[in-house]
Amino acid sequence: MNTPIVQMSSVSKHFGSASVLDRLDWQVLPGQVIGLLGRNGAGKSTLLECLLGLRETDVGTVRIYGEDVRHLSDATRARIGYVPQKCDLFEWMTPRQMLDYFKALYPRWNAAKVDALLARWGFDPSMQDKAIGKLSGGEQQRLSIIRALGPDPDLLILDEPVSALDPVGRRDFLRELIDSVIENGTTVVFSTHILSDLERVALEIAFLKNGRIALQGQLDELLEGARRVDASGGTAERVRVAPTSLEELFIEVTQ
Amino acid sequence: MTTHPAQLFSITTGSSEPIYRQLVEQVRRLVAAGQMAPGDGLPSVREVAQVLALNPMTVSKAYGLLEMEGLLVRQRGMGMRVAERAGTRHNTHERAELLRPILERAALEARQLELDPDTVLSLFTHILKEQA
Repeated sequence: MNTPIVQMSSVSKHFGSASVLDRLDWQVLPGQVIGLLGRNGAGKSTLLECLLGLRETDVGTVRIYGEDVRHLSDATRARIGYVPQKCDLFEWMTPRQMLDYFKALYPRWNAAKVDALLARWGFDPSMQDKAIGKLSGGEQQRLSIIRALGPDPDLLILDEPVSALDPVGRRDFLRELIDSVIENGTTVVFSTHILSDLERVALEIAFLKNGRIALQGQLDELLEGARRVDASGGTAERVRVAPTSLEELFIEVTQ
Repeated sequence: MTTHPAQLFSITTGSSEPIYRQLVEQVRRLVAAGQMAPGDGLPSVREVAQVLALNPMTVSKAYGLLEMEGLLVRQRGMGMRVAERAGTRHNTHERAELLRPILERAALEARQLELDPDTVLSLFTHILKEQA
């Protein structure tokens, strides 16, 4: 039951002389909903891309569902949904063409859910015939989320999924995420700077700093002041500090 | 006996009080004040999660704690209800004690703002009358 879905071991990644990930170890367990936090440029997108095998690591291994991420089977690939930070949708296609294309790629595709989301999230017939490149940033992001949810993924990776959405769009997205977690027990990893959204859905938060996971824990416990810190001998020790808001915690941990 | 809607609850993000704890405190206050009567039904975990856009586990955690302290009882197939003897045991003093956590927070901020007690108390008195 508690075999990690994602296992990253000693992963390093450089861009030129800049070290982004530095012997990073990380695990994601089944059913976890983890918020990934870090300052701008901390390497959250690089971490998620390495996790998914979209970027080669310099050193270290990444395994998803027990398979080396460099050689994922089609069956495992089909269990993963990903919403990238920058929309990588096919700009010349219409939303309908793009979704039909992805539908054909996946063994499992929830067409009823996709149609319901399109209707609920304002994709009326005229918009479904427009080229994706002509849609607004928010519309493209919503489409990207619909595409990722289409195959009913078991593991959902979201990189700043709501950065282009207005508050109503964000709330719609959160509700959909909550539904998905309720219905399917989906494991979710998402990075965001919108702490209020994170508080609503993430049970666990992880901070990326200096190329490693600097702090991870249950959100409630962290807010209530429980910390596990590395004592000098390298053993984990539990300490209590004053209760804090997530924003204060973010500033304290990442600075 | 009524079943209360999920709109009964409201939570704030950005607080140092975790969301599950906010829900726990709200139920305690509503029961203590008699707005929730013994036997009343609570909205389902799923409903609260949907309406407030919260992870259902957070709502479950709040309900579970309230069940452990005897304020709520789980009824098979019917969800959570307010325990029969829940409403009867709170006198004024006990009800006032429920305000303590939130007032301690306010006191902390008042000290940080270097406000003297009289100023804070007169403001609080004013707010109390304003709402009534």
